[in-house]
Amino acid sequence: MSKSSNAYNAGIMQKTGKAFADEYFAEDNQVVHESHEVVLVLKKSDELNTVVEEILQGSHKADNPTLVVEDRAGFWWLKATGKIEIDCIEVSELLGKHYSVYDLLVDVSSTIGRAYTLGETFTITSELMGLDVKLKDLAAA
Amino acid sequence: MAISTATKAATDALAANPAPVSVGAQEVHRWMQSFTWDFDKNRTKYSTKYKMANDTKEQFKLIAKEYARMESVKDERQFGSLQDVLTRVDAANRVHPKWNESMKVISNFLEVGEYNAIAATGMLWDSATAPEQKNGYLGQVLDEIRHTNQCAYINYYFAKQGQDAAGHNDARRTRAIGPLWKGMKRVFSDGFISGDAVECSINLQLVGEACFTNPLIVAVTEWASANGDEMTPTVFLSIETDELRHMANGYQTVVSIANDEAASKYLNTDLNNAFWTQQKYFTPVLGMMFEYGSHFKVEPWVKTWNRWVYEDWGGIWIGRLGKYGVESPRSLRDAKKDAYWAHHDLFLIAYALWPTGFFRLSLPTQEEAEWYEANYPGWYDMYGKVYDEWRARGCEDPSSGFLPIQWFIENNHPIYIDRVSQVPFCPSYCKGESTLRVLEYNGKKHSFSDQWGERMWLSEPERYECQNIFEQYEGRELSDVIAEGFGVRSDGKTLISQPHTNKDGKLWTLDDIKRINCVFSDPLKAL
Repeated sequence: MSKSSNAYNAGIMQKTGKAFADEYFAEDNQVVHESHEVVLVLKKSDELNTVVEEILQGSHKADNPTLVVEDRAGFWWLKATGKIEIDCIEVSELLGKHYSVYDLLVDVSSTIGRAYTLGETFTITSELMGLDVKLKDLAAA
Repeated sequence: MAISTATKAATDALAANPAPVSVGAQEVHRWMQSFTWDFDKNRTKYSTKYKMANDTKEQFKLIAKEYARMESVKDERQFGSLQDVLTRVDAANRVHPKWNESMKVISNFLEVGEYNAIAATGMLWDSATAPEQKNGYLGQVLDEIRHTNQCAYINYYFAKQGQDAAGHNDARRTRAIGPLWKGMKRVFSDGFISGDAVECSINLQLVGEACFTNPLIVAVTEWASANGDEMTPTVFLSIETDELRHMANGYQTVVSIANDEAASKYLNTDLNNAFWTQQKYFTPVLGMMFEYGSHFKVEPWVKTWNRWVYEDWGGIWIGRLGKYGVESPRSLRDAKKDAYWAHHDLFLIAYALWPTGFFRLSLPTQEEAEWYEANYPGWYDMYGKVYDEWRARGCEDPSSGFLPIQWFIENNHPIYIDRVSQVPFCPSYCKGESTLRVLEYNGKKHSFSDQWGERMWLSEPERYECQNIFEQYEGRELSDVIAEGFGVRSDGKTLISQPHTNKDGKLWTLDDIKRINCVFSDPLKAL
């Protein structure tokens, strides 16, 4: 099991029975705590398996050391601190066919955080888009 | 040749906003949004106490052409595999019988939510003033129509290809007698489409979709897979691919009112009410479906809830908004207690009321009892020993003459229905956050299980006038009510619902129920 704090069974989730209940009901856990993590759920597909294995866990692994990827039967579950970005131009090059950000969205199953697209890039971020950070448009042609 | 005023206006607009040379979808989106609309004289049918800003952005920058192409690919992948591959490998008959019954509930209930979300997002389109925000809501209207069809299709598939079609094919006919239906409508329709438009967005998008769709539509696919169901992951994970845009719509609703004074006055109360409304039903019902409606367990429901609801939705969604005055829901402490115990309380009652359902339930096996005790210390003393007693009295056998509801009556544990959530509860035999509160209004008594629902009712009592089954059928004999409410199979006498999933076990009929002479009684009349 991964020891990363972003792992599926990290922290309290490793505990069972009374040990879990004691922490779950602890006074400190009765209000929500701000988190800078993001979660991404990717439906398993030919293209997304490639994105996960070849890009996120392959060529870009060093770019985002906090990223954890777990196999949850029908979907990939990803969690990282800060943000996860997928550049579909890079995916197109890898797949050898045109693959737009909307092709990617066919299999992006869920997000926790602020998700958005800009050009051919999909981003899930902990930043407060539209509040702390302006949500960008494409530059005027 | 003279041109019409409309043509001239269009020509002028195009001159001021030249079309992009390329046809990249997001460039087209930017170009279209430059045609801003004047909403100074906008009159909405569904008003809101909040003032929504009109410069809000749409996070996914979607246009109709790309939307249609994207959704058609999703549908081709989903229905193609269901109709071909899964039929060929007889996948529906490989599903564990207990999970087959759970999907009768999950897919039928979700369909109702999706159907109401069509209206909800239409209402939000009507209220918003920012063109991009309207575009996002419009996309969601179309999504919700798609989801309604997807839920209906999975029922159709199970009914046609699978085991024990009754309940997959006609669940909605039982809506008058099934006690879980009214709570589902409260959480999945009323909160989405009644009242203030922004409050509806908070219910639907910020809480329902950003929080509870993750366990309901994502985590459920793990349980489905573990129990041999390969259809549900295909359909539900595809539904969820739209939900992330809906979550973004909800977030943009909050962004649009961030600078409105009303936000500081109302938002935290609306958020708390929405959270409690949603959790009051989803927390116990989903936990019951996952744990008691499966043979192979993925993880304790309380852990799923802790991950998706508390840590992720609470910490990432709500926690990050703290500096904008958004508070942790005040009802969280009670919700956490419910996440640990309320699904066990609800299963006890659901099994006791099994003849009024549209799906089959089964008692925990010895192996499951050990799993419950290991993960919820204290489970056996509270629940397990009751199930042992029911089993010993022959609750599964139609010739036993025993319905578990009799145990509640014999032991003086009356079952009430919460006026606001419509969820049944037994205040004298539960471990979740339920205590009996009774208020009188216009000469009628109303029961409540918690302070949060009671507060909502006190501010708008006319909103919660739905009759519960005890009021509706007071004095009526159970088999008559079941027959009247379409709770029987096509032979006209065998109940759709059964207290076991054993293929070789005897099925209960109306005659078996009639022999017991169980009569509906409203517990509030005894107070």
